[in-house]
Amino acid sequence: MSERWDVLVVDDEPVVCEAIRMVLEHDGLEVACVADARTALAHPALADCRLAMVDVMLPGPSGLDLLHLLRRRRPDLPIVLMTGYATPAIAGSVREAGVAAFLAKPFDESELVEQVHRVLETTGVDGEEKRP
Amino acid sequence: MRLRIGVLSIVGVAAVTAAVIGGMSVLIVRAHRAALLAQLSRGADQLCETIAGSTYYDMLENHRERLHRQILTIGRQPGIERVRLFNATGTIRFSSDEAEIGRALDKKAEACDACHAAGQPLQRLSRGQRTRIFRAADGRRMLGMIRPIHNEVRCWSAPCHVHPRGESVLGVLDVNLSLAEADRQIAGDQRQLLLLAVIAIAASSLLLWWMSRRLILRPVEALIAGTRKVAEGDLHTTIPAGARHEFGDVARAFNDMIRRLGEAQRQLTQADKLASVGRLAAGVAHEINNPLTGVLTYASFLHKRTRDQPEIARDLEVIVRETKRCRDIVRGLLDFARQTPPQRQATDLNAVVRRAVAVVMNQLVIDRVALSFELAADLRPVPADANQIQQVIMNLILNAADAVGKEGGTIRVRTREVAVPPHGHAVIRVARCPKGCDLLDPSVRIGGHPGIRISRKHDDQDAVVHLDPVYGRVNHRASAPAPQGVLATHACPQCGAGLEVPDHSCGACGGPVFAVLTENKGRVEWCSRQGCHRSRWAAMDACGPQSMAELAVEDTGHGIAEEDLDHLFEPFFTTKGHRGMGLGLAVTWGIVEGHGGSIEVQTQLGGGTRFTVRLPVAPAAAVPDAAGGEGARGAA
Repeated sequence: MSERWDVLVVDDEPVVCEAIRMVLEHDGLEVACVADARTALAHPALADCRLAMVDVMLPGPSGLDLLHLLRRRRPDLPIVLMTGYATPAIAGSVREAGVAAFLAKPFDESELVEQVHRVLETTGVDGEEKRP
Repeated sequence: MRLRIGVLSIVGVAAVTAAVIGGMSVLIVRAHRAALLAQLSRGADQLCETIAGSTYYDMLENHRERLHRQILTIGRQPGIERVRLFNATGTIRFSSDEAEIGRALDKKAEACDACHAAGQPLQRLSRGQRTRIFRAADGRRMLGMIRPIHNEVRCWSAPCHVHPRGESVLGVLDVNLSLAEADRQIAGDQRQLLLLAVIAIAASSLLLWWMSRRLILRPVEALIAGTRKVAEGDLHTTIPAGARHEFGDVARAFNDMIRRLGEAQRQLTQADKLASVGRLAAGVAHEINNPLTGVLTYASFLHKRTRDQPEIARDLEVIVRETKRCRDIVRGLLDFARQTPPQRQATDLNAVVRRAVAVVMNQLVIDRVALSFELAADLRPVPADANQIQQVIMNLILNAADAVGKEGGTIRVRTREVAVPPHGHAVIRVARCPKGCDLLDPSVRIGGHPGIRISRKHDDQDAVVHLDPVYGRVNHRASAPAPQGVLATHACPQCGAGLEVPDHSCGACGGPVFAVLTENKGRVEWCSRQGCHRSRWAAMDACGPQSMAELAVEDTGHGIAEEDLDHLFEPFFTTKGHRGMGLGLAVTWGIVEGHGGSIEVQTQLGGGTRFTVRLPVAPAAAVPDAAGGEGARGAA
């Protein structure tokens, strides 16, 4: 059976990953969770997911590095950046690379769902096309 | 063992005094004794001559009975112990002590010693040689005087009996006088001298004790006590510095040192606070936000799914609400630590006020606070970050509500547009000396802004002055006062370059002026005369008044104490005890500054407080940037 994923979550904090997975799966989305940038780039979900949610603070290459790498691999992929601490440097990188949304931690269930749906709806056609 | 200076010096001085007075006493007693003895021996000599003269004929005519009686009579006189006459062979022939008549004296006896010490009698002896001092058998001291009776013609030619012609000395008259009286006198003198010496030693020791106590010990004790207090961390301690001698100088130097140390420590503490809150906030955000995300997401997810079970839903609602409160606290810290540049858009200040009030209304109703508005309808939009300004308004209203207290009161929020002249409002944000040294001193803030640090000199008196960075305002701080009217010179405290402007003069008093340079708004001049508060910033004056949107939040609360005003905008300064973190006004100040605006507080203890925020009304592009620009308006 070939697996399909809608959302790729990259966060080294298991409780955050699991919380996002629970909320989004309840909403009917397939969620893949990885803990760092290297695993994310090697994950099969990257091929056809409709959304990536990336934490800024990651072990090894940072979320901002991953942001640029993802841009190269999937220029069309909308990315939601998550962080608990927005610095001017982060803001600059975000402006440069462009992200679909910015989610400040800690967020609640409705904020998460609203942002994800908003992003998926605005890029929905592309996403649907990618799905076989 | 610890020795005290006072004790050591007293012992030293007592020893020296004792040695000097003791030596003097010995010399005096010795001289006195010599004089007494000389006087006594003179008297004894005269007595000898008198006896010899009065008994001359008795001896010559051989009236032995009369001679005997005479000697007995003389020997009974007071002070005379004994008178005797012995012949050339040493046999006592006559004596006032009849018991010894006929006894023979050894040539080694003390009375014969003067002549016979050398082995043979001397013909002529001086008085000193004839005098001797000895102890009688009962131990009393005696002075003896001998007088040889020489042979002469009438002696060896007399018919009575014959003294051979060849004999030179026929006999010796020996008079013994008691030294008891003289010894008593000398002993009395010694006693007197000893008493005087003891009094002198005691008096000088007492004087020294008093002086060392007053001049040395007390100041030293005060210094030690002061040093201990400082060691315990009390940097407000001072020691008495009234004395005009060296210890006064030491005390003044000590007080000055501690004052400077205190200032340095306060500045360090302030800088440290700011640095640590930044680190703390970043650390807390990283560590707390991830678990908070988990709690908040799960709780809100569950809350949504349990709406049909009101009991559980209510509990989950509490969890969600309290977690969000945690989030707000962390964000408050971050807002302060981060000081993000505002995202400015044309903003309707009145709308922001209404939004802010809507958020805090619940709290105001609980506190029974009456809120009234006076919002100017014709207010032009201000280029501002609506979220940040909303935070400012919320902070001010909640502070006002706290000031009003639970008993209820009134808060008035007013907006209007005002024309603000540069004089009294424009802030000097860049100040340099002619050689380019940065004169702004963030450690000394006046009205929240860094003071302009310069050095001042008049009549050889130096002082460090922090000029009020608000143009036209005179809340200068000086390390030492200067008399009114005196002309001072001013210099850069770093490179020493003079700040006086030679070709300019004060518009009010005509005196010389000094100036600092701003980035691109020319120079700001102040009059060099103390007490003449004229200052001039030509470039800003040329710009004329600037339109500002003014927001005032007034309360009828307890007011702010004078001593708290200086610290009001400092991070972690709070008068609310455990209820506040002391970040609200610090964040507020940072946001208003970031907008190139100003914040002013007017207060009366017990009579309420008014915070006035002014924001420039101008296209966003024309607003000077807070980080690099200067000349932003406002009455800080």
